[in-house]
Amino acid sequence: MATALSREDVVRRSGERTPYRFGSPLRRSQRIAGFLFIAPTFVLFLGFVLWPILYTAYLSLTSWGGFGAPRFVQFDNYSRMLHDPVARRALIVTLVLTGVTTAILTFLGLVTAVLVNVIWSKVGVVVRTILFVPGIVSFVVSAVLWKLIYDPNIGTLNRLLGAIGLDSLQHPWLADHKTVLPAIVVVTVWGGLGFNMLIYFAGLQSIDPNLYEAAAMDGANTVQQFRHITVPSLRIVTGLIVSLGLLNGFKAFDVIFVMTGGGPNHGSEVLGTYLYSLAFGSTSGSIPQLGYASAFSVVTMVLCTLAVIAQLWLTRRADR
Amino acid sequence: MNRWLGKSFATFVLLPFCLLMAFPFVWMLLTSLREQNTIFNGPIIPRKITGTAYKEAWTSIQFPLHFWNSVWITSVTVIGVLVFATLSGYAFAKLDFPFRNTLFVLLLTTLMMPSTALIIPLYLELKSLGLLDSQGGLLVLYISGSAPFAMFLMRAFFQTLPDELIEAARVDGGSELTIFRRVILPLTRPGIATVVIFQFLSTWNEFLIANTVLRNTDELPLQPVLFTLMGQYSTNWPALTAGLTLSVVPVVIVYVRMQRQFVAGMMLGAVKN
Repeated sequence: MATALSREDVVRRSGERTPYRFGSPLRRSQRIAGFLFIAPTFVLFLGFVLWPILYTAYLSLTSWGGFGAPRFVQFDNYSRMLHDPVARRALIVTLVLTGVTTAILTFLGLVTAVLVNVIWSKVGVVVRTILFVPGIVSFVVSAVLWKLIYDPNIGTLNRLLGAIGLDSLQHPWLADHKTVLPAIVVVTVWGGLGFNMLIYFAGLQSIDPNLYEAAAMDGANTVQQFRHITVPSLRIVTGLIVSLGLLNGFKAFDVIFVMTGGGPNHGSEVLGTYLYSLAFGSTSGSIPQLGYASAFSVVTMVLCTLAVIAQLWLTRRADR
Repeated sequence: MNRWLGKSFATFVLLPFCLLMAFPFVWMLLTSLREQNTIFNGPIIPRKITGTAYKEAWTSIQFPLHFWNSVWITSVTVIGVLVFATLSGYAFAKLDFPFRNTLFVLLLTTLMMPSTALIIPLYLELKSLGLLDSQGGLLVLYISGSAPFAMFLMRAFFQTLPDELIEAARVDGGSELTIFRRVILPLTRPGIATVVIFQFLSTWNEFLIANTVLRNTDELPLQPVLFTLMGQYSTNWPALTAGLTLSVVPVVIVYVRMQRQFVAGMMLGAVKN
């Protein structure tokens, strides 16, 4: 789970504490306590967050099957990536899925939040709960559920289409290159919408109602109010939602792994599923390619870092 | 009048949309309650309701075993994360020590690294530590992976407490640990509740790491089991959906009971700036 980094968090400087005389007992006990309090978290962080990041960056420069010593190959894995059609496809699919999903989730999140905001508040509570519940069940549950819905033979979607006489639209949704990606987008949007709606809803509630009254007095209609008050006021929230959408997209794994395993024929392969199959093998007996797979880890980390930077940038721009 | 029109319009759009969003769950329940031989050609709403699928899911996949594995793994993770995150969050918010900001920024910059990207080194690390295939290893990864984010949340809560409170306690001669336990912790119940529910949901639902580092079936929590269940029961949909339904029950209960804290916490975590 990621969260917003406010600018103060990053640029916060020491010296704003109540000053104690240097070396006084009070100050010293605080210093010791400070280190002791963060020690457990920090040790785990060094061992199981920072070290893995550095280790995978190192591995990405090697060729390694998991036995013996990794062989240093410089940037071979990265140049191999450029010539590997599956890798290229995985990168493109990751970017496209992320972009499309984020756009839809941002737009629908705002629209539903606005609607929930104007509706009777009792109904609004029910609507919010219904929209949010898909987001609290696991990706595995939603993926299995939707896989059953998409099932070509007895899946609910095809049966419903048959029942209303649209047999011609029946389709092996997850087995066709053309429909597999939209099918995944639907599942991701279904699961993520409630969260975005709720954040936008909170944002809407924090807008000063006087702004709307003043605008109405100046003769602004609903659409104008929406464009010139609502949207600008929500800029920070939008920045957050977009960057979270990007992060979630770049790290996508569970839904695709469970629903399609990256198939059909790599049609829905993303960075996460591809690196997983390279490292842990979708086919038994093949030698794990830990070095090459690690290069995809690094690409994923770079993309996620860019998403965070994008958010900081959007937040900063909105501050002005 | 205009206002009433808007409300009606919103209802008119949202209600069908809600039905659409709720449909997969409704359908999951209906499927889990129907008889196996009616999934191919029976009516969409089953005529006869039966609980045999639940019995089947319960016994044939050792549901109780995996359920308790999930409960155990989730509980230890939540408690571990809570201890680590409150201590370090408090230190970063209220204690003055050298390199505080440097260390904090270091923790922050790596907060976003997803488990998808780290799964290879984490797997290798557990392997070399001899912790592969053990719940202990999984717990170490869960706690270390979640503690920085929870720390970040708790720090935000601690920052809302007045400094004077702590200084007064210091003047009264309390040690830092006593102050933390007696004075600070009781005041941060809402923050703790937020971390608990957040952590509960994300740990209960975690799939990738559990599926990778645990291979011994008896140790597995629910999510990887549901995944294998999908392969085994590819045609027995009632049993499969019954398993899904059972796995979702605790999540829904916790969500419904703690909805307020959850929403409040999300706002704090998300719209803080």
